[in-house]
Amino acid sequence: MLLILIAATISIFIAVWLERKVSAAAQQRIGPEYIGPLGALQATADGIKLIFKEDINPAKADSILFTLGPALVVIPVFISYLVVPFGQNMVITDLGIGIFLWIALSSITPIGFLMSGYSSNNKYSLLGGLRATAQSISYEIPLALAVLAVVMMSNSLSTVDIVNQQAGYGILSWNIWRQPVGFILFWIAALAECERLPFDLPEAEEEIVAGYQTEYGGMKFGLFYVGSYVNLVLSAMLVSVLYLGGWSFPVPVEVLAGTLGISETTPWLQVITAALGIMMTLIKAYFLVFLAVLLRWTVPRVRIDQLLDLGWKFLLPVALVNLLLTAALKLAFPFAFGG
Amino acid sequence: MLNFLKQVGDYAKETVQAAKYIGQGLSVTFDHMKRRPVTIQYPYEKLIPSERYRGRIHFEFDKCISCEVCVRVCPINLPVVDWTFDKATKKKTLDHYSIDFGVCIFCGNCVEYCPTNCLSMTEEYELAAYDRHELNYDSVALGRLPYKVTDDPMVTPMRELAYLPKGVVDPHDLPEGSRRAGKLPQEILAEIEASKPAKTEQASD
Repeated sequence: MLLILIAATISIFIAVWLERKVSAAAQQRIGPEYIGPLGALQATADGIKLIFKEDINPAKADSILFTLGPALVVIPVFISYLVVPFGQNMVITDLGIGIFLWIALSSITPIGFLMSGYSSNNKYSLLGGLRATAQSISYEIPLALAVLAVVMMSNSLSTVDIVNQQAGYGILSWNIWRQPVGFILFWIAALAECERLPFDLPEAEEEIVAGYQTEYGGMKFGLFYVGSYVNLVLSAMLVSVLYLGGWSFPVPVEVLAGTLGISETTPWLQVITAALGIMMTLIKAYFLVFLAVLLRWTVPRVRIDQLLDLGWKFLLPVALVNLLLTAALKLAFPFAFGG
Repeated sequence: MLNFLKQVGDYAKETVQAAKYIGQGLSVTFDHMKRRPVTIQYPYEKLIPSERYRGRIHFEFDKCISCEVCVRVCPINLPVVDWTFDKATKKKTLDHYSIDFGVCIFCGNCVEYCPTNCLSMTEEYELAAYDRHELNYDSVALGRLPYKVTDDPMVTPMRELAYLPKGVVDPHDLPEGSRRAGKLPQEILAEIEASKPAKTEQASD
């Protein structure tokens, strides 16, 4: 558990640094550069500032719910790291219902949003909380359906099995080629779940100040901040697990070892394979984070009606068709789509 | 049935088009990442204010004749001129003079109309204070001269806002260390110095 906490915290630093630097570059700025090498410790400085700020409870707020809200948003996200695999045996728990656990946990966070929005006793907070809940609930369904199509192909809910099923022919056997629609659906829905920019209505500062975060300050706000970045990294990792072959190298390591004439059981090769697995998962995940940041400065925010239209009238039918098509293809070509 | 298929086809076409436009937008954003930063790194780099910059007002106590023209031309009668009439010399003597820069709009009318030129504009613009009452400058504070940007060893003075070298339009792939447009004051001075001896030689010939 401690390991997850440390890994997730470091992943936030990298994600925050990446977000700030890429945003700066996209706007022809330099970005943070004085705190740490290339401004890498900017997130630490922000974190320390937030820890030392006064912990304020608004006078008319419901103090129990107000405190419970941020905790309920952050904890499920951290627990979800349990099922993210970095290698064949580099996963904290290889649950039989792995990916389902993540979907179940991610539907707890909207309750936290609603709690904090309601208990702040502020109209903007309430609006933000309601928006967050509506958004999370409507995008959960296409998300789950996209995952279901992948699960159907690999005959397992376990994240390790899903990656292993993509391992055979290197980059060619990754799920992205068999599930291109599912990949795009999942990524859009995951961005909406993380409240990233094209879908950041719950905290749209031009409309509703900061949504459910309006009344929060100090470390309670810090928890929301941490939660959103951990969630982004987590979603990116799950996209790489589900569609981009997880820890697998574009060319299978076994094939490489075979051509070089090295036995697969050589200890140093196994160490290298494990290190390569972690590297590949992280590279894929941070590439997707980079894509999300780039998307943030490209696409304007959607309106709430457009958001719900996109969720219910576009993503849901497309996800259903994708699921049915996958089922049909699985029956027709069991060798290519999992027997 | 056919109508329905046509609708589905049109919808798919629109979706593809939308995706194409988002892709184009992404390529534009990505292209920006390879460009040169436009920003001036403020506390370490500062723009040299232009010749007619209307900054904080400078006041010379001894030149003032307490005529109160500055008060009359001021849109909000801001300058406070405190004088007493000296019966012996039959002249007004100035006791205190102050301008509140928290209220001043830096229009420069007082500078324009001052008959003895005791008011003038400086290039100072960093007036931040912890208390708004600190912005109420008295005659001593008004008499201080600002520190020049070009004299500050910590600051790299910038001549112009343009972020590309002169004549360059493309912000990509600039050679390392290529400078913004505009010369620095010391460079202009050096150039004048360099061209001077040549002129004196010509004159002597």
